[in-house]
Amino acid sequence: MKIIGPDELVFGVDSVEACAAFIADFGLKHRGEKDGSGFYEALDGTGLSVYRKDDPNLPPPLPTNSMLRKTIYGVEDQETLNQLKEELSKDRQVRVQSDGTVEAVDDMGFALGFRVTRRRKLNLLPERINSPGAAPQRGFNEIGANEDAEALPRTLSHVVYFVPDAAKMEAFYVERLGFTLMDRFTGGGPFLRPALNTDHHTLFLIQTPEYMKGLEHFAFHMQGPTELMLAGSRMVKKGYQSFWGPGRHKFGSNWFWYFNSPMGTHAEFDADMDVFDDKWEARELPMMTEHSQIFLLEHRAKWAPGG
Amino acid sequence: MSADKRRPLTDVVCRLSDLEDGKAYGFDPFKRGRDTVFVVRRGNKVYAYVDICPHYGSTPLPWKKNAYLTGDAQHILCSAHGAIFDIETGVCVLGPCLGQSLSPVEIAISYEGDIRFFLGADDKLIGEPVVTN
Repeated sequence: MKIIGPDELVFGVDSVEACAAFIADFGLKHRGEKDGSGFYEALDGTGLSVYRKDDPNLPPPLPTNSMLRKTIYGVEDQETLNQLKEELSKDRQVRVQSDGTVEAVDDMGFALGFRVTRRRKLNLLPERINSPGAAPQRGFNEIGANEDAEALPRTLSHVVYFVPDAAKMEAFYVERLGFTLMDRFTGGGPFLRPALNTDHHTLFLIQTPEYMKGLEHFAFHMQGPTELMLAGSRMVKKGYQSFWGPGRHKFGSNWFWYFNSPMGTHAEFDADMDVFDDKWEARELPMMTEHSQIFLLEHRAKWAPGG
Repeated sequence: MSADKRRPLTDVVCRLSDLEDGKAYGFDPFKRGRDTVFVVRRGNKVYAYVDICPHYGSTPLPWKKNAYLTGDAQHILCSAHGAIFDIETGVCVLGPCLGQSLSPVEIAISYEGDIRFFLGADDKLIGEPVVTN
């Protein structure tokens, strides 16, 4: 299946106003309604949508208090949508919306949508560093510490679900949707990516009891570690609650900084994730804190040495 | 409730009149650099809990300063993963720590309305947060 990755997450929320404020400060641009509901996009057109939780157009909620209502995947073309419709119709109800989006639920009841991707191709500079022994990337007279840099999320990176049967979910995404297993936490779950995505993961599944079912977090890619630190620092300064990070993961190598959010899930900035092709052989480690990050820092108020 | 002078108390964190009915407030009585205890006022009753969700054991609840309640202010909400708690008992009634409870903090309100928290027997109410994942 020519699936590219998650293009949009749809939430049914407690307070649209609170979410609008949070998401705007997170760095996504509003493209929706005046009351703050609707779509918020990253630089490439992927993003989040928020609506009131009683909006009749939303798929039904999960039986927990998870506010995620739908994960919409971007696919390459109409032919892929036709294949998905045929494949998923074998054992579940499939609906085709007026805009062509194919909708169904996965094997744990998470609502899915598939549509021809609306992502815009990015042509932006990467983070450039100067490293001894290598030619300067930033060059002479270019400053790296730009406190005024925009630090905006570039693209929706990945989602992480709490699921009561990680093995069954893994089978669904691998066998039915063509995802690839990249790595695995024993007792935790698999890191997966769809066929047309080279990131280490766009989906990570964590085995949990049924009553925890829902969204653990979503993440957006930043330019690099510096923009991640800038964006996270600005969130803290505005009073948002840092949860975990900044730090750097082992599987995927991505830098991370997680915040609580009014969508009832963690919102992550990430940067510099590994990319892979089909030659990769999956690793496996026990699910434990030591294997989750190579280092973990914590934000502190600014300070300066003096004499 | 008056302060029990036999047990150590924190400094005054606020006055009862500072707390709006039906709202929640976070405090940092141990100078950790972030709020570690929060209270919810309902009428003349004030409920206080450690600002840690029992789900991960180290997760602060709010998404922003004082954002501890659901939109209708009828429950405490952990904005990390949506767990909902009864305000009066601290029991999780829906979400990822169903049946578990927030840790209550004993509160002392003087006749003058000054609010303090009781410290534990070891003069340490809250341990250092431990990050798990």
